[in-house]
Amino acid sequence: MFNSGTVYSNFTPLVKSPVIGYRISGDDVLLILKKLTKRNFSKDHSMMKLVELHNIDGTILDKCSVVYFKSPNSFTGEDVCEIFIHGSPLIASQLEQVFKDYKIPGFRLAKKGEFSYRSVFNNKYSLKQAKAINLIINNESFSSLEYNKKILFKGDIVSGLTPLKEDIVNLFSEITASIDFVDDEDFNFKNIMKKTRDFFNICNKLLHKNRTKIEQKNICKIMLIGPVNVGKSTLFNMIIDKERAIVTNIKGTTRDILSNQIIFDGKKFELFDTAGHRSKQGKIEKFGYRKAQKLSKEIDHFLVLKDKNTRKADLTKLFKDFDINKNFTIIETKSDQFNYNSKNIKINHYLNREALFSRIKISSIYNKYVTHKNHKLEFNNSEIEFLERILEYENDIINERDILIIAQLIRNILDDFSYEFGYINNEDVYDRVFSNFCIGK
Amino acid sequence: MFHVEHYDVVVIGAGHAGAEAANICEKYGLKTALITKNQSDLGKLSCNPSIGGVGKTHIASEVDILGGVICKIGDKSAIHYRVLNLSKGPAVWGVRAQIDRDLYVKNMKKYIKSSKIELIEDEAINILQKNNKIVGLECLKAGKIKSKIVILTTGTFLNGKIYFGNEVKEAGRIGNSSSKELAKFINKNFKTMRLKTGTPPRIYAQSIDYDILDPQPSENNGIFLSYFTKQNTNKNVNCYITKTNIKTHKIIRNNLDKSAMYSGIIKSQGVRYCPSIEDKITKFGDRNGHNIFLEPEGLNSNLVYPNGISNSLDKNIQLKFLRSIKGLENCKVDQYGYAVEYDTVDPRELKNNFETKKIENFFLAGQINGTTGYEEAAGQGIYAGIHAAMKIKKIKFDNKVFERENSYIGVLVDDLTKLGVTEPYRMFTSRAENRLKLRTDNSYERFSSTINNKVFNKTEYNLITKNIKDEKKILKKIKSLKYSPNDLKTKRIKVKKDGKIRNGFEVLKFLELSTKKFKDFFSVKIDQKLLTKIYFDSKYQVFYEREKKSYDQLNKNKNMNLTNIDFNKIPSLSREILEKLNKHRPTNLNDACKISGITPSALFQIMKYKKISGNKIARR
Ligand SMILES: Cc1cc2nc3c(=O)[nH]c(=O)nc-3n(C[C@H](O)[C@H](O)[C@H](O)COP(=O)(O)OP(=O)(O)OC[C@H]3O[C@@H](n4cnc5c(N)ncnc54)[C@H](O)[C@@H]3O)c2cc1C
Ligand SMILES: Nc1nc2c(ncn2[C@@H]2O[C@H](COP(=O)(O)OP(=O)(O)O)[C@@H](O)[C@H]2O)c(=O)[nH]1
Ligand SMILES: [Mg+2]
Repeated sequence: MFNSGTVYSNFTPLVKSPVIGYRISGDDVLLILKKLTKRNFSKDHSMMKLVELHNIDGTILDKCSVVYFKSPNSFTGEDVCEIFIHGSPLIASQLEQVFKDYKIPGFRLAKKGEFSYRSVFNNKYSLKQAKAINLIINNESFSSLEYNKKILFKGDIVSGLTPLKEDIVNLFSEITASIDFVDDEDFNFKNIMKKTRDFFNICNKLLHKNRTKIEQKNICKIMLIGPVNVGKSTLFNMIIDKERAIVTNIKGTTRDILSNQIIFDGKKFELFDTAGHRSKQGKIEKFGYRKAQKLSKEIDHFLVLKDKNTRKADLTKLFKDFDINKNFTIIETKSDQFNYNSKNIKINHYLNREALFSRIKISSIYNKYVTHKNHKLEFNNSEIEFLERILEYENDIINERDILIIAQLIRNILDDFSYEFGYINNEDVYDRVFSNFCIGK
Repeated sequence: MFHVEHYDVVVIGAGHAGAEAANICEKYGLKTALITKNQSDLGKLSCNPSIGGVGKTHIASEVDILGGVICKIGDKSAIHYRVLNLSKGPAVWGVRAQIDRDLYVKNMKKYIKSSKIELIEDEAINILQKNNKIVGLECLKAGKIKSKIVILTTGTFLNGKIYFGNEVKEAGRIGNSSSKELAKFINKNFKTMRLKTGTPPRIYAQSIDYDILDPQPSENNGIFLSYFTKQNTNKNVNCYITKTNIKTHKIIRNNLDKSAMYSGIIKSQGVRYCPSIEDKITKFGDRNGHNIFLEPEGLNSNLVYPNGISNSLDKNIQLKFLRSIKGLENCKVDQYGYAVEYDTVDPRELKNNFETKKIENFFLAGQINGTTGYEEAAGQGIYAGIHAAMKIKKIKFDNKVFERENSYIGVLVDDLTKLGVTEPYRMFTSRAENRLKLRTDNSYERFSSTINNKVFNKTEYNLITKNIKDEKKILKKIKSLKYSPNDLKTKRIKVKKDGKIRNGFEVLKFLELSTKKFKDFFSVKIDQKLLTKIYFDSKYQVFYEREKKSYDQLNKNKNMNLTNIDFNKIPSLSREILEKLNKHRPTNLNDACKISGITPSALFQIMKYKKISGNKIARR
């Protein structure tokens, strides 16, 4: 059952890493901390403490940092603690075993999303904010990241849907009033219909504006091409640097085509390594080459790699095979080994990453293709979809003359908003009716 | 000593709830007594002299078709008619009649006296029970009376207090003592709360300068409160309209400390939709005036009810602000406005048949359940009466008519018993999810399964059965006529060229709403009333089908398993509902229905979450 008992869960992946984090939330947090650390945390709200964690038999499980947040000043609104154990999945499993051995009634592993829902339930976050947490984690663009962060930190009020929700509740209230309280004020059908059309016009405008923004380019796609053995994969690995690169999304890792997204200097790139072209190709490589060819239409920029062994004909063929216009840079590789006397960019695998990036001018490549960096969005993707759903009612409503049918359809829209914002009930509507209109005798 | 008589049912209180309860019990053959403090109270209109209006007529028309009296006696006593919302669909038409107060009481008395109901003039002071089951009641004069069932309908009388400014009196309403003895029993046995309402002053007609005011004449469009009324033979009179002004507002604003409601003497919950003039000025004072409808209290009455200025101000201030109003410059006041504060029972104390959960055979109906309004009271009275009759006479009755999707009485009962109230409850059409279907002009159809010759006299019964027969005949005829899009085109009716053959009923909505056009088109004669009814049936057909489908879905899915569902993930459920669902953990939808406070829309949301379509009137 949700919302009862104390729950725990890891908040970092359970893989070998410097730390693994656990979060516990509920009434029994202090009790559990007492058992685990032999220490009373009740006066240590929001302070990080270095402590020893104990196994049931008193032996030491780990020595690590623990923070306690006192209800209601925590993420969920309940008592919460966070434990940062050493990043060994084995220690994690020992810790979970200890939790089980406590046999505290109701103390259990949290369900997916339970922490967020507890925080919504305890009014710490609105429904939208809880959704925003998820969206932030899964964000694909900086613009929507900024937008979702705003929702999380400032609340529903910043959502582009909020004014629309206000509008529709007001509109529905006016319609309700015009039906149930006809003789109390002067209601005018034409006026109501105008407001209804205005509402849909605003929806349409906002939808259009934000859709173009969201669809606007925010990533630069670069493909590495060149003959076999010229050093494409070496360069690819240097750029995506397994150790340091902020890799947002690992896509195809098959042999035929390798691609990887990275963020550098606040800019998002997608890089494609390709199989080279050689006369006696293995089947897979041939397949990969074709695939790369096909993909080339979507590519913004090509890094064409050559070395001393590269013949003119090789390059001519490449230019013919790929969809290249002026969007390329020639790069000469293995400059430690070969001497070039051209004006081309020269690199070798001894360069550090920063130097490499500055040589191949990766930032200016980005700027050439991606003009807008951070858009101020009024919606995120799921809200855009929501707007589209609302607009499906437009025709039926504005072509309708019967206010009762209009009222029914707008009630449906209101229900849809309920799904997005949490419950809007009749009483909310009546509150609005009685505060906006002088109703009653 | 027990009174010699043994009753099946004793109804305490002869207001609108009591009159309906007693009447229907008698019709269903119960030995019935009606106790009221004073015979002159029978069906008394405590506040405004009018019956009906949007939402209210809706309940009243259902009472009418169940065999009730409010509409019939209303029409007999009406001196002015208006139909609200006539420009909108018939689902929200609200006929409102101005009632001659004295005539209404007179007609009600005549009616009750001509029935087998035993009218007892007395004060009930205690309810007698044994092992949590009713055995009777005790009255001040008559002593103990035996009865199988007691229906309590004492309105605003329990610990009633009335306020004029800082002046407080104990009374159920002006001129009537409050019921303190009985209140003790109720407060001891049930959860109660205090609510309040108010009424405006009454002004002498001769002191009003009508010449400078706009009259509002009675509309005579043949629409009456009762299905059975053919005509109203009373002389019809005008209402008049005037307005408050800046001077009025200033007087009121400067004297808010002399208002019982504003000075803080009254703490109980009032109504948002029945604001006192103090409320209006405080909240909407910047308006250049609030309408006042001057409603005559009766043909032979010299009093006028100024609708729109209910208040609890000091009497001197009342007179002062009244005289600042156009037409009222020299007005004389008979009775000053006041606020009334009273005990009501939390309606969640009731089972859904309106019997209390704690004491078997003890029923409550009317304002005592936290409602306001005559029609709301009447609806509950007849509802409680029918269920009392079902309980001891085992009469056959199709209880489905009282489901929320089938009637306003159903909505009222469901809201009261499941949600309780925080302010006096009044019906609005927007409370009904199925508003399009719950029309005043089709109540006979919605309640057809309950129509019988016990509750109607011969003329009434014949009229209603004949009308139903005629309607069926006409429908059968026009449904047998078929039209292709081409046929319709030649008749200048535009429909989609979908090749669909439509029957006459499906075509009806494309015609003009005119009996002549109808006759020309179908070669069938029809009267205006029936035409309007079936015309809108035709128009709303699509919506009805969809609504029906969605309720069928709900019924079909009553056994839907909810054991694994995580209610917290359904975003559109309110916090209160979530708490209830998490507390009760219903195992299926049917169990969920039974939890108090779970609304139908919540059930639809649960179904929606489980990917079962519902609740929406889909797009066309
Ligand atoms: C001051 C005032 C203002 C109102 N304003 C509005 C308004 O603005 N709008 C609106 O819609 N409604 C208003 N109402 C409410 C409306 O009058 C009631 O809702 C409606 O009349 C309730 O009907 P009822 O049958 O429940 O009770 P009532 O009509 O109040 O009838 C109660 C009956 O019970 C009898 N009774 C009481 N105690 C005993 C006893 N111990 N023994 C025997 N008989 C007893 C009384 O004599 C009376 O006949 C107002 C009422 C009052 C008093
Ligand atoms: N000396 C030197 N060797 C390099 C350099 N870059 C790549 N190589 C070598 O060249 C060979 C082919 O490199 P690879 O990246 O697989 O080429 P690809 O076929 O284009 O992907 C490997 O043996 C690399 O070690 C460089 O900068 N200097
Ligand atoms: Mg390679």
